[in-house]
Amino acid sequence: MTAPTATRLIDHFKLGLDAPICLTWELTYACNLSCVHCLSSSGRRDPRELTTAEAKAVIDELERMQVFYVNIGGGEPTVRSDFWELVDYATAHKVGVKFSTNGVKITPEVAARLAASDYVDVQISLDGATAEVNDHVRGPGSYATAMRAMANLKNAGFTGFKLSVVCTRQNVGQLDEFKAIADTYGAQLRLTRLRPSGRGADVWDELHLLPHQQKELYDWLVAHGEDVLTGDSFFHLAAFGDALPGLNLCGAGRVVCLIDPVGDVYACPFAIHENFLAGSVRDAGGFHGVWRDSALFQELRQPQTGGACRSCQHYDACQGGCMAAKFFTGLPLDGPDPECVQGYGESALAGVVAGSAPKPSLDHSHRTERKPRPVTLTLSRRPPASACDESPLAGFEVIGQPSGSGCASGACGC
Amino acid sequence: MTAVPESPAVLDRFDLDRAWGVHPSVAVRPEPFGALLYHFGTRRLSFLKDPTLLAVVTTLSDHPSARAALAATGADVAQQRRLARALATLASTDMITERTEASS
Amino acid sequence: MPVETDASTAVTETVEVDLVEEDLLVEDVSIDGMCGVY
Repeated sequence: MTAPTATRLIDHFKLGLDAPICLTWELTYACNLSCVHCLSSSGRRDPRELTTAEAKAVIDELERMQVFYVNIGGGEPTVRSDFWELVDYATAHKVGVKFSTNGVKITPEVAARLAASDYVDVQISLDGATAEVNDHVRGPGSYATAMRAMANLKNAGFTGFKLSVVCTRQNVGQLDEFKAIADTYGAQLRLTRLRPSGRGADVWDELHLLPHQQKELYDWLVAHGEDVLTGDSFFHLAAFGDALPGLNLCGAGRVVCLIDPVGDVYACPFAIHENFLAGSVRDAGGFHGVWRDSALFQELRQPQTGGACRSCQHYDACQGGCMAAKFFTGLPLDGPDPECVQGYGESALAGVVAGSAPKPSLDHSHRTERKPRPVTLTLSRRPPASACDESPLAGFEVIGQPSGSGCASGACGC
Repeated sequence: MTAVPESPAVLDRFDLDRAWGVHPSVAVRPEPFGALLYHFGTRRLSFLKDPTLLAVVTTLSDHPSARAALAATGADVAQQRRLARALATLASTDMITERTEASS
Repeated sequence: MPVETDASTAVTETVEVDLVEEDLLVEDVSIDGMCGVY
């Protein structure tokens, strides 16, 4: 019958699929932390958040589209009072769930419940193998919270959960230690790229990897092979040599996308900006309509020509790198990645006018005093004035404040 | 959650005369070019690049053997060999498994 | 890999697969292997 084609998987994926394979769904902008590099600038809940009913309607669509799994994040997704209801609804409707958390609500009871479920995976965020390195980025006590969560998961018999690290100038010397921590708790280590997205733009100059560190990271990843996950976030390093495991492809708008807490659909979680906004799940055609028909996604699914990178021998491997990294450093999308391993990005950055790089469209950061270029971060937190200023206690009775689901139900009157 | 197996099953003898079927933890999603298979336990995604291969995979459990399922495609010998090799690959990543008496 | 030319048999009883050669019809990747998911 049909002779087999030699087409690679990514040749089909570059043109887009009828439905995403998986996607990121940020359930809330609320968060109990204020990590300096937060890609979604999270902290305070947005009053326009999807209601529980709207969220279930999205899950119904994902089921119909046969999306295999959804990566639930935020903010801190577990602070939503309907978090478990939505996770259970998703798995009951054949959509796998992996949720990203700082660990604040992973109690022994929660860990036991997770260990009993076949279709829910957990990803704990950690950005330092020591409290000193981690808490500098994620805030005081965050290291201890993550460790406690991992201990609870291990004690509940949940093996194979993910320990996810954003690689920075400050922690790239701790890769072996991160692996040891993951091994101790029976977790799988995941290393991901720092991008100048959200609050990441403010700390990019200080925290992004130096050229020699990129090479060290690449060599380390090659040595560890499939043992260590990367979320395919280092395909720009393919120019060093053999490609790392993964598709080595920008999946934005082609095989993945982001649904944000107010139902907006973006090309990817690292590109929360109106230029990468494809539509809303609240539009008449729902999520399916946006995925299939939005002008932005159709544009991303056109064959890419390479632009200024076309003549570089490494273009086939690195494909010009990450769209979001280029955009938020003020570089053109049809040129080199700011961290291009050949150094072309560095040269291009020299031509960018200071302060001209696009800013994120949304900022849900806690209203703490922040220096423009924090080196040592002092976190001071105001007590929440309304349910929009999220704290881990939301949903519990607090004297003088309504409990319940906050803004979406109109309960807080903010 | 089952952990990712330490090493994939060695790609050696795939027994065409046994009864096979899609693993219960695998979701099959047809695509214009063939299909996507996702295994919830191993978290691996397999891409089938041929619609005939998809047909064989989804009809495996209707036949007493993989050989019979291949023969039912009406494909020539060379194509059946390619398809058999693809089945061996899918077996090595646990996407398809042998049917036991209880599951047949 | 030995091939029987007997039309009624079509393929040999067992299939030995060359570890080095890539499968033409099946490609495999981790679900974590797509960029744009955190």
